[in-house]
Amino acid sequence: MTASALRWVGPAVRYACLIAYLVAVLFPVCWVFYTSAKSTQQIYRNPFGLPPAITAPGRQSLQPLVENYTKAWVGSRFSRYFINSVIVVSTSLVSILMLGSMAAYVLARFHFRGRTFVHMLFICGLLIPVQLVLIPLFFQFSDMGDWLTRILGAPVRALGIGDLTVSLHDSHIGLILIYVAFSLPFTVFTLTAFFRTLPGELREAALIDGAGEYRTFFSVMMPLGRPGIVTIAIFNFLGLWNEYLFGLVFLNDDRLKTLPLGLASISMQAQYKSDFGLLFAALVIAMVPTIAVYMVLQEKLTRGITLGALKG
Amino acid sequence: MRRATRKPGGDRDRNQALFVVSFLGPPVALYATFVLWPALNAFRYSLYRWDGLSEPAWVGLGNFRAIVATGSEFLPAIRNNLFLTFVPGALTLSLALFFAYTVHQRIPGARLFRIAFFFPNVISSVAVALLWILIYSTTDVGLLNGLLRLLGRTEPIAFTESGNLLWAIVPMSVWSATGFFMVLFLAAMENIPETYYEAARLDGASSAAQFRHITLPLMWDVLTTGVVFLIVGGLKFFDAIFVMENGRPSKTTHTLATLLYSKVFQEYNIGYGTAISVMLFLLVLAATLVSLRLMRRERLEY
Repeated sequence: MTASALRWVGPAVRYACLIAYLVAVLFPVCWVFYTSAKSTQQIYRNPFGLPPAITAPGRQSLQPLVENYTKAWVGSRFSRYFINSVIVVSTSLVSILMLGSMAAYVLARFHFRGRTFVHMLFICGLLIPVQLVLIPLFFQFSDMGDWLTRILGAPVRALGIGDLTVSLHDSHIGLILIYVAFSLPFTVFTLTAFFRTLPGELREAALIDGAGEYRTFFSVMMPLGRPGIVTIAIFNFLGLWNEYLFGLVFLNDDRLKTLPLGLASISMQAQYKSDFGLLFAALVIAMVPTIAVYMVLQEKLTRGITLGALKG
Repeated sequence: MRRATRKPGGDRDRNQALFVVSFLGPPVALYATFVLWPALNAFRYSLYRWDGLSEPAWVGLGNFRAIVATGSEFLPAIRNNLFLTFVPGALTLSLALFFAYTVHQRIPGARLFRIAFFFPNVISSVAVALLWILIYSTTDVGLLNGLLRLLGRTEPIAFTESGNLLWAIVPMSVWSATGFFMVLFLAAMENIPETYYEAARLDGASSAAQFRHITLPLMWDVLTTGVVFLIVGGLKFFDAIFVMENGRPSKTTHTLATLLYSKVFQEYNIGYGTAISVMLFLLVLAATLVSLRLMRRERLEY
């Protein structure tokens, strides 16, 4: 009897640990969600209780929720940060997937002199930390801006349209260039491995049927590569949507800031003013997009992690 | 084989060369301009003293000598990086292994645990830092101090003040990273053929023995990958410290990344800051190569 009881105890304890950790993972986030429906006074009076919006639903109890989110979305320019993030991340993502799969396809499917060298070049990029590139890039951007101003400024002046100053600092284009370039090593590395696993016969067949190399790529290989491209897209989306350091260095103008930067600056102001209702609402707005993407695509995401790591 | 059937210099060869260049050119150009070139330039920058405005002055290895001199801020910073790598790292790895192993036993709700545990990983590091600022807050809002108040403590604890901050980051790191490693390890465990375990059970091996002699050795590659991820992440640690210290970390909380940021963008000591970034790169490189080598040798014993 003792033996059978003992056999029982181990799994039960382990299961209890899992449940405890489940609570530890989920509760803080739930707490942020429901607290965002309370006014700052209500938070102070009863920091951990459920908001009136849940305990006593009604027009009046919903008011703090509406107020917090209006303050965050409109008053603190969160809508602006959100749109900036959408612009920067979607443009970067499309460019990364396009350029990345082009390079990966050629590296996986063609034999030419220098192929191994180019492949190694991209693999080197996996080892280069953001911080190594950051400082020289900061000054390189100034030089490139001056240079572009000189080249493009002359014809503009000649046409009499006015003066033109090009700057890659404080510009979404500058940030997008960095994001694309920095995401390429991982994207190319993973997609090259993926394109290698695709059957070569389909490509041969398309070529024999008279489709050129370009058409073969866009109408046969790209669709075939979709599972791999989708996984890479999710990874890049999460990484770029949450990126902080490059944005911090290259965007100073508040109107151009992306969501993580905006969240950090709101957090400092709101803590200073002790406006906790605003703070909780801002945090929810910042978390929702990635949580939503995760909920919809979690199966693909976790499978992607395992594929990448098990092969690599 | 295909190559042999084609005449060299034929139309198709030229078309193909054109295709390769047109597809490889743009990505390689972008990558070389905005990653490789500045990365190479970093080594040059690290040999000068420069404030960003006046003429740079050549100092050779002077910046590196200043970095390792006694009393430099580099050494405390690197100690903080090591702390933030190994303390949360050890906890994360053990928890992730334990959870992966337990969930792998086909328990009810396995899918729910996997999905829920991974989920903090998709929240941005800035949002995670802010969430934990609220959890640790000394005002009435603070979740943890509220809990302590219920347990009878009258004075709130300042978890995020400089002296405590590194310890306060440990649970935060574990909270956000464990799920990722659990998913990684779980996949590795699912890849191990069931027949190995069946054979071991026939020989009377306990489940602890099975774990030690089958599961661990067969997922060694993935464990290596996990350790490399943790070390590289710990060396590059920036976001949470920077946000929790309101952009001005103190000497006791600087990591390599926050130190080089403040040297360059707050004190305009560009050569010195870049020298730190070069050291950071060399450490990432060394850590990756060494752990890959060590783990591979271990694995050959089986």
